[in-house]
Formats: sequence, structure tokens, C-alpha cells
Amino acid sequence: MSNSETRVHFRVIMFMFEAGSRLHLQSIPLATASTIYHKFFRLNQLQDYDPFLIGAACLSLACKTEEESVRLRDIVNVCYRTLHKNKTQLEIGDTYWSLRESVARCELYLLRALEFKVQFDHPHKYLCHYLKSMSQWMEPNLWEDLPIARTAWSLLRDSYHTGLCLDHSPEHIAVSVLYFALLCHGTEMPFHKHTRKKWWQVFSEDITLVIIQTIISKIITSYDVENELPR
Amino acid sequence: MATMPKCEELSYPFCPDESKYEKLAKIGQGTFGEVFKARDKKTKMVVAMKKVLMENEKEGFPITALREIKILQVLKNDNIVNLLEICRAKATPYNRYKSTVYLVFEFCEHDLAGLLSNPQVKFSLAEIKKVMQQLLNGLYYIHSNKILHRDMKAANILITKTGKLKLADFGLARAFSDKLNRYTNRVVTLWYRPPELLLGERNYGPAIDLWGGGCIMAEMWTRSPIMQGNTEQHQLTLISQLCGSITPETWPGVDKLDLFNKIELPKGQKRKVKERLHGYVKDQYALDLLDKLLTLDPAKRVNSDDALNHDFFWVDPLPQDLNHMLSRHSKSMFEYLAPPRRRVPIHQPPQQPGVVRPAAHNPDQHFERIF
Repeated sequence: MSNSETRVHFRVIMFMFEAGSRLHLQSIPLATASTIYHKFFRLNQLQDYDPFLIGAACLSLACKTEEESVRLRDIVNVCYRTLHKNKTQLEIGDTYWSLRESVARCELYLLRALEFKVQFDHPHKYLCHYLKSMSQWMEPNLWEDLPIARTAWSLLRDSYHTGLCLDHSPEHIAVSVLYFALLCHGTEMPFHKHTRKKWWQVFSEDITLVIIQTIISKIITSYDVENELPR
Repeated sequence: MATMPKCEELSYPFCPDESKYEKLAKIGQGTFGEVFKARDKKTKMVVAMKKVLMENEKEGFPITALREIKILQVLKNDNIVNLLEICRAKATPYNRYKSTVYLVFEFCEHDLAGLLSNPQVKFSLAEIKKVMQQLLNGLYYIHSNKILHRDMKAANILITKTGKLKLADFGLARAFSDKLNRYTNRVVTLWYRPPELLLGERNYGPAIDLWGGGCIMAEMWTRSPIMQGNTEQHQLTLISQLCGSITPETWPGVDKLDLFNKIELPKGQKRKVKERLHGYVKDQYALDLLDKLLTLDPAKRVNSDDALNHDFFWVDPLPQDLNHMLSRHSKSMFEYLAPPRRRVPIHQPPQQPGVVRPAAHNPDQHFERIF
């Protein structure tokens, strides 16, 4: 993928997250929407589509598959507003109806392009379990002082700016963001140097340090993309 | 956002065109579209195609269809209808550029409502056991996968010509969780709707499907739905007359349901499930299982696992395959295709789930009422 394409996708995901937060979407529908988006562009060429329309349709489809009831009307209005901050609100009229129709059609197009396979196993639930175990493992003071859970959760969310979710298993991603979060806060698992089995292997048997490093470096690269974006 | 390019020119490499099948006949009407019998032009395999209606869809692809697809992709079991693939029809001027989608299923020759409405079809006790065992096995499987069917009725129970039973029509199905939920209670065809839904419960669970299973089990002997209410009120009255008055004594917590105080419930009714059904069902074990399935309090209603362990299935005569009995019938039997005399009342129960319809009095109702 060329650099400029990577930047476009980054921008679109940013747009989707912004629209998503205005629509009060939870993490899972947002993760699903981003996964659908990345999967679609693995199979299709960017130049053939308007990525923002695809993004809006991904949001709409994800709300349905994740049982988050959001009206198509709201998705169209919010997406329009997010995209055109300087313009006035979208009035009911030809533009509104054609945008709405486009999102609806595009949603069906996405479904077909993905062979109707829109169920994904996300890292979120694994991360929740790992964090729970970790909280009991670490010294209570340390755990309370450091926002490890929050950092890990933010890293996970940011990882959706790239197609990471398509290339790695959800368990591996969850372990890696946890590893990364510990690094960020300059801390380690207690006694981890003395154990025969590494803590990450306790969570996920088949993970290796190489995999963790690969995932972390992909996340770091995506932060570089953000810095390259025109302000 | 730009608008979508010319729809009819797009290609879908992963979604086959419906023209690979030739339609043979319309065989039914599902929750969200028509069902056809069709044949693969190349392989000659016979399939059932269910059309996803999108004509009047304002919210894009219907969420009910999406749920059905998602659920069927996960559920793979001998007693669950098998989704083979999803097909599309091209957007053309004929369908006003609205393309349609078809769900393609393996074909089943009969549905239970069709079989029961044909007096030529006779089930022995051992064969009824086989039907119920497969039905409960299907329910056990979907419930273990955290799915509620929400539209149990004889017409949604398919049976192949070799006697394999398949639960079908997951158009109203959805995933459930064990925490507190607020689902719509406008589900399940009225005659098969359990008392908790009729009383406005929104935090319901797998027990709703077992009530329907009980109604279907009784129907194996009575040959027509046992409680044919015209309205929700009427349905509750029929239920009370069969299962006894609905009171907080027999059903703790029922008084907390939304409609408990707003609806008139017959008082002083004794539970007569076994007595009333005894005229049709002679087998004591069958009566006992029916009694457990048609339990008012959903918390006490038998679950599919315990139902499968019931003596009914483990004493002589043991469940027997339907293969032999069905081999005598060469014609497909579907409720939709059954002779109109019987079809009308079954086919148009006064209230379809999710649709508010005035209680229709049907003058052509030559339909035998059981209760």
C-alpha cells in the first residue's frame, strides 16, 4: 500500500471514530466498522471508491451487526456534519435523500463484497480478561497509580487506524497492547524475570516476543502516519 | 461523501447471481419474504430460496435478515436448516434498480404444519417421539449457542423426505445474554406465544421457545394448534383455562410484569393440562412432558436438556425414524401449499409477530378448535 493510501485510510478511520463518538457508539461497533472498512479495501482499489462513503456505510452496517440501534437518518446527518464542518446542517432535500440512498446501497454492496461475513472476534473481551488477571497480580498501589488499563484500551482503539486486526489474532493483539502499555509506563510484571513461562504465554500459548514486537511496531508506525497528516 | 456509481455495472466476485438457479415453485412466505423451490442449473441440486424483501426498506439492509444470516452462518447442526449460500439478483429497470438478495438453503420436502394438516399422514407414538427428540435437540443446540428462535410454530419445523427435522426461519431469532435485557415482546405467532410475552415481559430467555415446543408437541396428536386466540387477551384466557389461573402463588413475580394488572385474567381456574389433553394423548410419559413444557412460570418450565432426558424418550416404544412412514408419501407437504380449507386459518393467525393487525374473524374457519 502506498504512503498516500495509508494516509487516506487513516483519515477515514479518524472520521469514522469522530462520527461514531457523536453517535455515542461503543467500542465494539466501532471496532467492527473499522474491521469491515479495512477488509473491504484489502479486496478493492481505493481509487474506485469514495472512502468516506464506504466509511459511513461501514458504520451503518456495524451498528446492525452489533445490535446498536442507530437510525440511518442520524448516520447520514452526523457523517455529513463531521465531514463538512463549515457548511450548514444538511436539510431534507435532494442531497439528503441521495446520500441516504447511497449509504443504504453501499451497505448492501459491502455485504456482498464480504460474502455476508460480518462477524468478528475482537481483542476487547480478551483484553478485559487479561486486565482483570493482571490487576490481581500486580501490587495494588502500583496498579492504582498507573493507568495501565486506560492506556492499553486507548492503544487498542488506535490500532484500528491500520489493518492490524486483519493480520493478527485477537488474543495476540490484546497481549501486545498490554505489553506496550507496560512499556509506556516504564513498568514490568512483578517477578517476570524469575518465571519459567513468560506472562504473555500464560495469556496466549502460541504468542512469541517476535509477534508482540511486530504488532507494537505496526502501532507505532501508525502514530507516525498521524504526524504526517496535513494540519 | 459522494454518491454511489452506476449500480448495475458493479461486479460482485464473491456473490453468485441468482440466475444460477431456476425457480420451480413458490412454497412459502417467510417473516421477511417469499420462499421458492429452485434447482441449480448446473448441479441439478434442489434448494429453497428465500427472498429478502428490500422494496420498502428505509433503513438499508434489513437488520432481521442480517441477524438471520449471521446466526445461520454460526449454527451448523443436523437439526437446523442449512444455509448454503447467499445470492443476488441484478439491479435492473424491472426491479427499479433495487437489487434483491436470496438466502439459499438445502431443500426440505415437508413442513410439520403441512404434514399435520394431511389426514393421510399418520404418526405413531414412536415417530412422534422422534419428531420431538429432534426438535428439542435443535433447541438445545441453538440455546447453547445463546440464540433464541422466537418464532416456534409447526410451519417453521421442516422435515426432509428421510425424516430429518430442521428448525427453520430464523427471521425473528436473536442472540441473548444472561444479564438483564430489554427485547421486544412482539415476537412469536400468537397461538404459540408464551404467557410471559403476553404479559409484557421484555427480559425473557430460552424458555419462550420451549412453550412453543410444548404447543407443537400437543399438536402432534390434536393435528391443529391447541390454543387459537384471536387477541392477546383471548390467548391468555385460553392459556389460563388449560394451565390454570396465573397468580403470584403459582408464578412468583408475575405481578411485576407490565400487563399483569392491566389485563383481565380468569380467576379460580384449575390446571387441567393432563385432563384436557388425555382425550388425544394416551401415553402417560407424553402427558407428563407436555405438562412440564406448558408450565406457566418460565423459571420452572423444563429446559431442552432436561426435556431430552425425560422418560418419554427412553421407555418403549423408543423413538423411531420417520423414513419408512414418509416413504409412502411422494408429494411435498407444506402448510403454504396445503388445501385452502385448512390453510386459511393456520396461515393467517390473527396476529403475526411484530405486526399489529386487527383481530380478523374468519368466516371460513372450518377449523377444529381443540380448546
